Amino acid sequence: MITLAATTACQAIALGDWRNLLAVAWDFLALSLFSLGGGNTLLTEYHHMAVDQYCWLSSRQFADIYAIAEAAPGPSSMIVGLLGMGAAVQEGPLWGLLSGVSAEIAILLPSTLLMVAAALSWNRLRDSPWRVAFERGLGPITLGILFAVGLKILRISDHDTPAYAVSLVVCVLMLRTKISPLWFMAVAGLMGALGLVNHG
Amino acid sequence: MAESAAAPPTHLQLFLGMQQVALSSFGGGLSAWSERIVVEERQWMNAEEFITGLTVARLFPGPNQINMAVYIGSRFHGLSGALAALSGMLLLPFSLLLLLGLAYYDLHETMAVDRVLAGVITASAGMALSMGFKIAGAYRRDPVAMLLAGASFLAMSVFHVRLVPLVLVAGPLAMAWYWPKQKQ
Repeated sequence: MITLAATTACQAIALGDWRNLLAVAWDFLALSLFSLGGGNTLLTEYHHMAVDQYCWLSSRQFADIYAIAEAAPGPSSMIVGLLGMGAAVQEGPLWGLLSGVSAEIAILLPSTLLMVAAALSWNRLRDSPWRVAFERGLGPITLGILFAVGLKILRISDHDTPAYAVSLVVCVLMLRTKISPLWFMAVAGLMGALGLVNHG
Repeated sequence: MAESAAAPPTHLQLFLGMQQVALSSFGGGLSAWSERIVVEERQWMNAEEFITGLTVARLFPGPNQINMAVYIGSRFHGLSGALAALSGMLLLPFSLLLLLGLAYYDLHETMAVDRVLAGVITASAGMALSMGFKIAGAYRRDPVAMLLAGASFLAMSVFHVRLVPLVLVAGPLAMAWYWPKQKQ
């Protein structure tokens, strides 16, 4: 309920105006090279952009979209496409699709270009002290960020004790077993349908 | 490094091969499928080259599996090969996800959808929480690493420092600390 009140105070920008679309694409372009640890480090930034800065989504919608991107086949970093869609979908599905595709291209373009350069020059990079220091130095920072990201998503998703209990059980099972996460989502979804876990 | 047996793939083969990886990995295990298809079935790379690719993909910014597709594509045809492999990996899953997204934005206020999602997000929150624990073991014996991780966590969670300034300040400090002591 608190999150809902906070989002109504914030005015969503219209992406039908191409200058806004460019500003948003620029924000994703600028974030691309900071996607350490496989891209999950960016989730709190996406939340900040979509919920606090541009007011495209409520916190609850962000949690929904994160779950959908995790459940759907393919790399879960495609969540950016859904964020972009959320930014413009109220102006019609075509705007939603255009905005979603633009956002995804923007987030992937810089890291892809860097990766091409890295693949072509890896033999020289491999023994460079820069490579060693980058790998060893950024690893622990990524670790800290991932914990912050996990906590943030936990906070926006769970609002009562049963919900926190389900999340903790899933977390332990993710670490201790090789069960497909789709099963956890299916069981939790059923619990939601039966009213065992609620939000708000 | 031994060269792989098969002829280098064309752009179309890169596209189709990565599409096969994306479709096979429904429900997870993307990198295992990638190895099976790229190394065992199509023999574009040997196991050693593939593992090098995974190392590079994890090291550089960007989603791991997407970086791996880019790595594979660019090894054979540079930027255009990378784009072919990337398109193959993303085209179908991303189209499906956009359709799901349209359905979500249309239906999420429906009672039944809302209740199911209220359950599903508790599971995905648990998955998100597990990400840090998954890699924490590697740093347990290094007090400086734990200090860096703890400081980064506090900066973001308690002091609401944004990711970009955090990485720009802590990154160079950490790199200086871990700079290799002796030239090898």
